[in-house]
Amino acid sequence: MHTTTLQTTNLTKKYGEQVALNNLNLSVNKGEIFCLLGQNGAGKTTTINLFLGFTNATSGEAKINNVTVQPNDVATKKFVAYIPEVVQLYGNLDGIENLDFFSRLAGFKYSKELLTGFLTKAGLQSEAHQKRLSAYSKGMRQKVGIAIALAKNADVILMDEPTSGLDPKATAEFTRICKELAAEGKTIFMATHDIFNAVNVGTRIGIMRQGELVHTLNTSDITANELQKLYLKTI
Amino acid sequence: MPNRLLIKQFLRSGIAIAGISLLLLSGIISLFIGKSYLEKQRDKIEATAVYQQQHIDRNVQYGHSEMGLLLYYLRFAYVNSINPLNGLSIGQRDVNLGIQQVTIRNLIEKKYDSDLNNPASMVMGNLDFSFVLIYLFPLLIITFTYNLLSEEKEEGTWRLINIQSNAAKKVLLQKWWIRSAFVTGTLLLLYLLAIPILSIPINASYLAMIAEGVLYILFWFIACAMVVGWQKNSATNAVSLLSIWLLLTIVAPAVINSLITTKYPVPEAMATVVANREGYHDKWDRPKEETMGRFYAHYPQFQQYRLPAEDFNWLWYYAMQQMGDDDAAEHSVAMRNKLLLREKLSNTVGYFIPTLHTQLQYSLLAQSGLKNQVQFLDSTTAFHEKKRLYFYPKIIKKLPVLQEDWRKHYAVEYFKSEPPVNWIKLLLPLLLIIILFTTINFIQFKNLK
Repeated sequence: MHTTTLQTTNLTKKYGEQVALNNLNLSVNKGEIFCLLGQNGAGKTTTINLFLGFTNATSGEAKINNVTVQPNDVATKKFVAYIPEVVQLYGNLDGIENLDFFSRLAGFKYSKELLTGFLTKAGLQSEAHQKRLSAYSKGMRQKVGIAIALAKNADVILMDEPTSGLDPKATAEFTRICKELAAEGKTIFMATHDIFNAVNVGTRIGIMRQGELVHTLNTSDITANELQKLYLKTI
Repeated sequence: MPNRLLIKQFLRSGIAIAGISLLLLSGIISLFIGKSYLEKQRDKIEATAVYQQQHIDRNVQYGHSEMGLLLYYLRFAYVNSINPLNGLSIGQRDVNLGIQQVTIRNLIEKKYDSDLNNPASMVMGNLDFSFVLIYLFPLLIITFTYNLLSEEKEEGTWRLINIQSNAAKKVLLQKWWIRSAFVTGTLLLLYLLAIPILSIPINASYLAMIAEGVLYILFWFIACAMVVGWQKNSATNAVSLLSIWLLLTIVAPAVINSLITTKYPVPEAMATVVANREGYHDKWDRPKEETMGRFYAHYPQFQQYRLPAEDFNWLWYYAMQQMGDDDAAEHSVAMRNKLLLREKLSNTVGYFIPTLHTQLQYSLLAQSGLKNQVQFLDSTTAFHEKKRLYFYPKIIKKLPVLQEDWRKHYAVEYFKSEPPVNWIKLLLPLLLIIILFTTINFIQFKNLK
């Protein structure tokens, strides 16, 4: 029996006359990694923003753990963690301090050992833990972002272009971590342009075009080359 | 809430330590400028006391056999007391005469003299503590707060804060508190240092200065929060806040000063001097009976002493001098009233302009403002009158100079004024503005996401 963690019903977002998202119907189960593909402006980030409660839907609804985001975004926040394209943290605090700060914000007070453990689990080398974030590469920041998500112990991790700009090794490491998290029962919802990584990391893939979800596929049913062809044909 | 980490984050930004250090240094320099000013004034007063004794001895022993002639030359010093708080707010004290050397001749012409000043230092003004408080502290507050929220939004941390917590506003409030605490701490440290440096007694006036200073700082923090609440970008916030600073510290006081001097012009300043000089010069050519008639009208108690029939008599001479003051009295009173009207209007306008209000209150508490100067001049007039009334009978009776015990005139006399602190007038205007701005901030930040 699958537990639905993320669900949208006829979710629509309009900016004036511009339709950013049109009647999106989607459900993502616990432990799934759902990758949303699409060009810029296809509605991927809008979907994430609606789950985060950063913007209000024009019609329809988004649910997390069966709780409607709008108007309960205060309640649904505790279910989600968020990793943006570039994880922006405080440059003059080190990795542990940043993690401590954002964990405390979420209501968790961890010992230094536990904080170090989260960073290590996220793949950040121990030498970097006490260096200021201003000296971190993008990949290292992503790892702190993952550690923040781990520390929050959120059911859902929303990711917006998380591998954009990462080198292949960092991307591979990121993929490994995502799979581990999914195996632990976390639901990952990722917007990405990276077709090959989507096939590699995801359990399901959605392709969006002009605010509409055009295809939904199981990654076990398709190869990267087939997906690329379908994607190019679709957009 | 993560106070400790926000403090670290603030202190590790290079600007925090540099800004606070610079402000602290400016504050300490201002205290030593105040100390130097106080020492200079005290030296002057000490020298005056020594000089007065020497001056009296020299004139009595080697000079003049007639009481009238001796008192033509003798000067008696009257000193506007130095309050240690002057060191914090020099105000008009370095421009106005703090030591009046009074003869029993006419007074009014001399009363409004000013000290000699270095024009260059007058252009630059004094870097006293009130300058540091009123001009420099707000600049640091602006530097610390203009991007309180916009920086988070521009750098992308605000989204993460919002996702992690429903208390994002509390993070903002904590950042505001941390900056407020450090700046207020710096201010309080300066007040603490001022006690030994300027030998300030801890009394109601000093506590009032501290309270006013803290409220002034709070006003700026709340004003900055209001601009932050507009949720514009960092550049817009910085320009807006610097414009407000310029308006409140430079433009508004200058415009108000100009309006007040236009509303209450003081042509009496010139008229008073002219009337005073002509008042007695003119009497050389007027019949003595006329002069004496007016003198007796002013001082009926001396009517019994009639003017002897001789070419020159000191009674007539001093009556003539007296007429100088009497002729200028109307202009002098008008000028005094105008000055007080200017002071009153400045205070009223100041209730709505925190910079002006704080400056005026500091001058009031330090006894370095216009009100103190007017009171000192009033008291100088009373001192002069007391001397006249003491010496007139001796001059008229032509008492021998050596019959007077001159030692009792050695001591310099002081004007001392310590009006009680009016806490309501002092603090209420700033408190009301702070409450108003806080309410606006509350509304602005209510729906912040």
